[in-house]
Amino acid sequence: MIKMIPVLSFAVLCASATLAISAPGAGQQTVLDRYAAEAKAAAPAFAGFSAERGKAFFLAHPASGKPDTPSCTTCHTADARQIGHSRAGKEIGPLAVSATPDRFTDIAKTEKWFTRNCDSVLGRACTAAEKGDFITFMVSQ
Amino acid sequence: MQLRQVRVWDLGVRGFHWGLVICVAIGAVTGFLAGRDWLGIHVIAGSTIAALLIFRLIWGWLGSRYALFQSFPLSLRAVRHHLSPAGRGEHHLGHNPLGAVMVYALIGVLALILLTGAVALGGVVKQGPLAFLMSFATGIQARSLHNALAIGLLVMIAAHLGGVVLESWRGRQNLARAMVTGLKESAEAPQSAPVAGHPWIAGLAVAVAAAVLVPGTLALNALPGRGVPPPALDAAYVRECGGCHFAYPPSLAPAQTWVAVMDGLDDHFGENATIDSATATVLRGWLADNSSEHWDTRPAVTLRTTDPAQPQRITAAPAWTRFHRRIAEAVFKSQAVGAKGSCGACHHDASTGRFDPQQIAIPAKAFQ
Ligand code: HEC
Ligand code: HEC
Repeated sequence: MIKMIPVLSFAVLCASATLAISAPGAGQQTVLDRYAAEAKAAAPAFAGFSAERGKAFFLAHPASGKPDTPSCTTCHTADARQIGHSRAGKEIGPLAVSATPDRFTDIAKTEKWFTRNCDSVLGRACTAAEKGDFITFMVSQ
Repeated sequence: MQLRQVRVWDLGVRGFHWGLVICVAIGAVTGFLAGRDWLGIHVIAGSTIAALLIFRLIWGWLGSRYALFQSFPLSLRAVRHHLSPAGRGEHHLGHNPLGAVMVYALIGVLALILLTGAVALGGVVKQGPLAFLMSFATGIQARSLHNALAIGLLVMIAAHLGGVVLESWRGRQNLARAMVTGLKESAEAPQSAPVAGHPWIAGLAVAVAAAVLVPGTLALNALPGRGVPPPALDAAYVRECGGCHFAYPPSLAPAQTWVAVMDGLDDHFGENATIDSATATVLRGWLADNSSEHWDTRPAVTLRTTDPAQPQRITAAPAWTRFHRRIAEAVFKSQAVGAKGSCGACHHDASTGRFDPQQIAIPAKAFQ
């Protein structure tokens, strides 16, 4: 039993490290809390964000936005850990928090880009739930 | 009659002559044949010629016998005599009267080429000692004159070479070699007291001239160029307008372009690029105050005329198209560049709005 302690503590260490990587940092948590409050206000049945829904949203081609920007992946590529390119040819740092740790930590910046990109891709504003799902997915990446 | 070797051309004259040959050759090749990115070498050649001319002026007063201006005065009567049958038999150890005319003409034309070159450099690309003074329009006129004078110089050089061949044949001695060795053959009695020149005093004079001119030129170079925008862009502008592309300095387009861009941010080249209204108001004011009408750099003046069909596109302006006509579409589309609007990919000083010719380097990857 004594012998198992190092093995167990190593396993705990690994688990917590994995958690630490995919858990939102303090900056992202503040932004997520705000979207959660908005989502709850909009729909009292709101039961938390989902990385799965965020992933589907990220990869979707909604066909309701501007013709040159059919999907989030047009600029951010289908792999959020990769460098993307704007339509004007400029590099865009990865959205995945593991690759760019300060993503989604500045609410003004995050809101500005949601406003722009949701309108370009979906032809409408994103809901707080969509934003939260999206960030939750990016935190898991 | 015994021929003897006489030292005619001293080291100063020979050094000046061959130094000039090298610098003029470099200046001509970089000016006529090489592209704009050779401007740096061209300017170095020109500056060296200026130094050589200043040295020659000093040496014309303090050099040895045949280097002295008084030994080859500019005289039409002497030229006429030289060309008459009577003058044909006469020997001139130094410059003959016709050669003297050529020397002064070459020095005069070279001086004018340097002057117009400095005005063009200052006005057109806002570099060098006259950048603080010269407008773009004056620079362009000076550049035309500079080009015409340079062609004139080539003609004169051809005439000079013809003259050397002709006189070598007439006098039965190789004058080109004499300019290398300094020695000529002469039947004349040895000069009683050859004027040896005053190399130490001349050296001192050169040092004094350098001590005044070099720091003076550097000080003028350091003055802000006329009509050149300050290099730093507004931080909010870079943040708001530099996210999707290079943040275009406002001096690259007229006010009309910026108004159209700011009015159409909700559908900006097929994208939503909206900005919160408080920031937008600030940026509108800053763009209006810094549009190309306020500046005198080459991009500011030439890109002021936009394509009426797409006034928002800097890269559709007629001058832009002309400047980039030799660059293949594939280079713009390559990953290393991205698009025509990625000014900074090739112009390393693009964010300052200067676009100096020496700052252009197309990334090698763009050609793969
Ligand atoms: C036309 C190109 C383009 C498309 C399409 C696009 N984006 Fe972006 N996005 C950008 C650029 C450019 C940035 C700013 C990059 C930077 O800050 O490094 C950005 C940044 C963001 C940010 C801000 C990240 C942060 O640091 O806070 C979010 C959020 C975002 N995008 C979400 C989306 C979503 C969601 C979609 C699809 C609905 C989408 N984007 C589609 C170009 C695009
Ligand atoms: C959401 C992304 C985005 C933002 C933010 C943005 N732009 Fe653009 N801009 C573009 C795209 C895309 C193009 C077209 C690029 C192309 O076709 O190569 C463009 C082109 C331009 C051009 C024409 C470039 C050319 O090729 O001549 C100008 C000028 C311009 N933008 C100015 C601005 C200004 C000023 C701002 C800030 C108010 C701004 N842009 C913000 C995406 C953006």
